[in-house]
Amino acid sequence: MRMLASVIVLILAGLLHITSLDKASDSYKMLPQDTDQSFVLPSALIKIAALEFRGLASDVYFLNSMVFIGATQQRKETPRVKEWEWQWLLTVLDTATDLDPYFFDPYYYANAFLPWDAGMVKETNLLLAKGSRHRDWDWMLPFFIGFNKFYFLKNDSEAAEFLMEASRRPGGDPMLASIAARLAYRENRTETAIYFLEQTAKNTEDRNIKERFETRIRALRSILFLESAVAEFKKKYGKIPISIEALVNKNLISQLPRDPYGGTYYLAEGGKVRSTASSELEPYLSPVQKKIRQ
Amino acid sequence: MTLWPLALITFKEGIRNKALYGITLIALMLFGATALIATMIPREVGKVSIDMALSTISFTGLLLVFFVGINLMAKDLDKRTIYTVLSRPISRSQYIFGKFLGMALLIIVTMSALSLMAMSAIVLLKATHAEYFGRFSWSLITLAILFNILMLILLSAISFFFASFTTSSFITLVLTIITYIIGQSISSVKALVESSPQEIGITVSPVTLKMVKAAYYLFPNLSLFDIKLQAAHALTVPSSFVMWTIVYGLVYIALAITLAALIFRKKEFP
Repeated sequence: MRMLASVIVLILAGLLHITSLDKASDSYKMLPQDTDQSFVLPSALIKIAALEFRGLASDVYFLNSMVFIGATQQRKETPRVKEWEWQWLLTVLDTATDLDPYFFDPYYYANAFLPWDAGMVKETNLLLAKGSRHRDWDWMLPFFIGFNKFYFLKNDSEAAEFLMEASRRPGGDPMLASIAARLAYRENRTETAIYFLEQTAKNTEDRNIKERFETRIRALRSILFLESAVAEFKKKYGKIPISIEALVNKNLISQLPRDPYGGTYYLAEGGKVRSTASSELEPYLSPVQKKIRQ
Repeated sequence: MTLWPLALITFKEGIRNKALYGITLIALMLFGATALIATMIPREVGKVSIDMALSTISFTGLLLVFFVGINLMAKDLDKRTIYTVLSRPISRSQYIFGKFLGMALLIIVTMSALSLMAMSAIVLLKATHAEYFGRFSWSLITLAILFNILMLILLSAISFFFASFTTSSFITLVLTIITYIIGQSISSVKALVESSPQEIGITVSPVTLKMVKAAYYLFPNLSLFDIKLQAAHALTVPSSFVMWTIVYGLVYIALAITLAALIFRKKEFP
């Protein structure tokens, strides 16, 4: 009898435990939270506080940033990530690489997101330069800097210098030197961009990041395709077509390619091909970046 | 050799300590976590797994020194068995040296067992993620573990020094933990106060600067023994650094344990 009573009490307590935990954690969400995540302790202080576990602290900071990126993928609102959150991400990745400047992943993540989505090209390049200085055996970091200089900052001569540096390091594709040469002569930017992105995608295992690059390559291929059609039009008729549809009407192409970002292509001044989803394409500016430029 | 029997008894006492089971359990869980977390890292799985495995060794080693080592020394005093020990034909200094030898033996044996576990975790991860272990060096990992063992023995010597004049093992524990924290951070603190602390909004008074400098020479510079980062990235470690660090460690151990013996000789037991 006594045994039965204790079993019943245990079962009831077990059920109550589950409900109380659920209720408590639900109502915990309603507590006023400290939302200002933008503050990260200066790395000089974290270095001291981490004692001999600096490498571990670096891993933890990096994992934090990964969790953050993962969480933003689920968000529905626009812009998906706020400006101060990008700033926070940059600081966290900077801190992770202050704690362990040889750790590749934070640089890699910074490069995959910050220049593209947050327009933080110069900041990312500074971060990458720290990595390139420490990881002097790694060709990918100067390659990233070179790409950013070419693609976003349109500084071809500096880009070429970094590519030459990348090609000299072990494992660096000798083709990098030839892109560097091509940059020096300012030839065919779209084709060069495609080659650059293909190199990056080839060295990417993260499926999410790889897909982002592949979409961009598809978009650039369509642009390249249209650009060559425009060039052919110019050769044939001695002038730039009035609209992009003229290319189809004159049978130079059978149909307009689809923009993977959901926009439609049009001709901008000087016969340059643009997309209405231009935030993701040429002129390679994200909304945040545009705001900064304004 | 009169030290050896005492050392052996101390070692056996330590091995039989129940706290050791708990420490081993924590180590096993942390090695499990290493495998789990390292596979979440997109690229540098190798770096993170070495980082975490070596950190686990350090952490469990600290638990060993703090909770088993200090107890070994204190138990004789707390339980008054010190009277029986000292009534034997053994001097007080020999007692300290013998105990310390036993403790060092305990650290070496336990750390070697933990290192085997850590290395098997690394081997496992290396077999499954071979392409992410680009820069890798077993010899550096071994060196990092050896340095860690030396650091733990040094810390243990310091705990003996504190135990020689304090009256309770709790005070010894607190003082040892404080020494560990200061020892690990002092060179970073010195670098911070000497460089440009105003950049991150800290003002340093001249008195603080002098205190930090004094602490730098007084406390052991334990961060010297931390080469986890270099091991994780297989960076070059100059042999002169290895040699001088070992010399520094041995000299500090000798100093601490000799002082402990000197003080213990004059100690009056209640």
